[in-house]
Amino acid sequence: MNPLRQGQLDDRVMDACAVVIFGASGDLTRRKLMPALYNVAASRVLPGNFAVVGVARRDKSDDAFRAEMAEGVAKFSRRKVDPTLWDDFARSVSYVCGDFGAQPTYDHLRSHLEKIDAERGTRGNRLFYLAVPPAEFGPILSGLREAKLVAEGVRPWTRVVIEKPFGHDLPSARELNDTVAGVFRESQVFRIDHYLGKETVQNLLVVRFANSMFEPLWNREHVDHVQITVAEEIGVEGRGKFYEQTGVTKDIVENHLMQLLCLTVMEPPISLSADAVRDEKVKALRSLRPMERRVVGESVVRGQYGRGFVRADEVCAYREEPDVAKDSTVETYVAMKVYVDNWRWGGVPFYVRAGKRMARRVTEIAVQFKSVPHPLFQSPDGGITPNVLAARIQPDEGIAVRFTSKEPGQHTILRDVAMDFRYGTAFGSNTPEAYERLLLDAIRGEATLFTRRDEVEEQWAYMDHVFDAWHAAGNIPPPAYAAGSWGPDAADDLLAKDGRRWRKP
Amino acid sequence: MNDAPPPSVSRVPFSSVVGRLELELRDLWAPPAPGEPLRSRACTMNLVVVTSSLAVAERYTPVVDEVTQAIPCRAIVVTMTPSSTETSLDGEVSAVCGVDNMACSERVSIHASGAACPRVASVVDTLMVPELPTTLVWLARLHMGDPVFLELAADSQRVVLDTDYTSLSSLLALSKWAREGRSTVAVADLAWTRIAVWQDMCARFFDDEAMQPLAQGVESLRIVQMSDTGARLGAEAALLLGWLASRLGWRLEPLGGSLRFRRADGKAVSVDLGATPPHARVAPLAIASVSMRASAGGITAAGTVTRDFDGDVADVLRYKLDVNLPCSGEQTIRLGPNTGARVLERTLHRPMHDEALAAAVAFAEKLDDDGATCT
Repeated sequence: MNPLRQGQLDDRVMDACAVVIFGASGDLTRRKLMPALYNVAASRVLPGNFAVVGVARRDKSDDAFRAEMAEGVAKFSRRKVDPTLWDDFARSVSYVCGDFGAQPTYDHLRSHLEKIDAERGTRGNRLFYLAVPPAEFGPILSGLREAKLVAEGVRPWTRVVIEKPFGHDLPSARELNDTVAGVFRESQVFRIDHYLGKETVQNLLVVRFANSMFEPLWNREHVDHVQITVAEEIGVEGRGKFYEQTGVTKDIVENHLMQLLCLTVMEPPISLSADAVRDEKVKALRSLRPMERRVVGESVVRGQYGRGFVRADEVCAYREEPDVAKDSTVETYVAMKVYVDNWRWGGVPFYVRAGKRMARRVTEIAVQFKSVPHPLFQSPDGGITPNVLAARIQPDEGIAVRFTSKEPGQHTILRDVAMDFRYGTAFGSNTPEAYERLLLDAIRGEATLFTRRDEVEEQWAYMDHVFDAWHAAGNIPPPAYAAGSWGPDAADDLLAKDGRRWRKP
Repeated sequence: MNDAPPPSVSRVPFSSVVGRLELELRDLWAPPAPGEPLRSRACTMNLVVVTSSLAVAERYTPVVDEVTQAIPCRAIVVTMTPSSTETSLDGEVSAVCGVDNMACSERVSIHASGAACPRVASVVDTLMVPELPTTLVWLARLHMGDPVFLELAADSQRVVLDTDYTSLSSLLALSKWAREGRSTVAVADLAWTRIAVWQDMCARFFDDEAMQPLAQGVESLRIVQMSDTGARLGAEAALLLGWLASRLGWRLEPLGGSLRFRRADGKAVSVDLGATPPHARVAPLAIASVSMRASAGGITAAGTVTRDFDGDVADVLRYKLDVNLPCSGEQTIRLGPNTGARVLERTLHRPMHDEALAAAVAFAEKLDDDGATCT
């Protein structure tokens, strides 16, 4: 242990290392990864002995790659680029051109990395980031193995970061995981879900387990129901071909939304170690009541956006998007009623929904508490509104508690008021991007905010029931909803039949 | 036993001033007149700033306003001039809003002079937002028996000094007072925040696993501050030296009227405190460079961190580690906006209790007693 790190704000020492990005010409690298790396370098969090190596098919020089990245960082970085720091950072950036399916690419990469080890002191530590479609994982992983670029020991270390989708159903997820496991041990694998890098998502655990006032109420005795919403204003944004193969359920519900659900329902972990937290998340997933085929029809609602107005702009229907079939049956909206069959949550419905082209871009978890047992106060407005704790993930990250108060005056008139805590207001808005936190965690080998193999497979095991039921029903076209609305009428009915209604977040 | 009668109760009615300030605070958030923009109040803490002159208060008020845009709070900026022959208490209230004018903080300015000064703590106590944490920033000379300080500190979770305004001895006295358990208040110093980057760079010398044994093998250390030759060791340099010595397990040994540094293994460490002429773009007594030489297991390393004076703001540091290991290398670091506001903001974001500061201060205390100077 470095004695000068003891007692420092961040006493974890970052190992010297090289980050190797496969898919370096792609959008993710330019928009997210390189700006994130630059920002952590500018914050002095990266070790001095650090290098970034981009790998892609296009032939280009180191300087050309640096220039591309400079442009990307200037455009997408949360802070203005400092030429002095950029020059220093750019010296650590280099490029390797090669076909992912050809072994010489990896042999070349190996000699390039050895040279970097000697020149920049990266000590043989490697973080491979696969910013490529899953179909490329196999060739890349076997190329790395054949080139002996995968160290199995603790020092030097090798880790791999993979991006979703982690399969398209349970068998394909298992196959993908087996492919990865053929080359890397699970402890070396970091499956990234950028939602978990968001401050408010991390804050969920803090709110739940660092405050004594919430946890006693966080159960079936006090909670009436929970609503989780992931709504986007945007449509498929030129990704029609991708969306035709996935739909919103596989794109958002199976991963982001299930993770939010896990963090909401999980039991307190015994520690904050990666496996302790992920063990509890897996237990939560295993507690979900399986969606039997007959239940899917009554508990799941699909929708597909038609034409409409979003922020006053008229937008086209999903079927009018490029690369989308005119008779597409792909869902762009889904709402589900989910039960968690365990001691804490037995009988409490969790209503989850995700959609494209919704009225507003918002992601939130809203816990609605039970009504007071006896209506002591006369309330001409139709009763006392139950308390709600809403954790807003994006935008305007924060937490709001709604409660009832008396309006000043001679009469006892009740009004809903909110205590509203906003991250941006309380802590400033220049919070790190999710990718910054996640990249640093991967470099540190801290896996808490990454998804473990069994989590991924449990998520698919649950969702596959839904897909099977839809398939068995003959993939009937989902009902249309107007773009800019909150989804199809059937989604409102899903709650209405339980005497509830969706929030308008 | 003192049988003298207590002084008679002063009948000067200052409560009307407090009442007016309370009303003005309330009126700030009254519903706007038609056509006027709606402003929201945000508050996460009380920030009480005490100064001993109008000039310091005027200089520091923009700093407070900038901080409150990042950390919404009720800021209470107090100016006390007890030596004034005139006794008066006055104040004003304003909303401090960000560029978007959406979330606003409150600033209360209080001016007390003459016999009104002892009442300042009572005024501040009335005006603080209850149930929220309070930080006291004390920018006046600090006497530990000062009743205003003691009362304000008792209501605070953290007391922040700035050794630019006070002195290292004030920090030492405050730390001693806190250490002796007369209060649970946490102590912070803006100079300590300013040296955080230097600490990080020094720690970086020993981050690599192969370098870690060398941390116990430091043979020489040179810290250069921006001052004239023969000047007293400044707070930044003293705290950095105290921090290095306490973290590396050095002890001070008196010999022949001076102090010598010894490592845990008993070997001497040559400590050299240097001075380089003050620079227009850098605060006086700021650190200019740190260099260290260490050896262990047949490896010898030399590390330097030097402030670069070429740029417009002289806030670039050049880090260099020269050792026959792969971790040898150079790096450029930007200190970032080291304005008063950013430093205070970073201080407020630090953990409340800082064991490293306490250890560094304990060490610096001995250096201060010794009257260390820079050559």
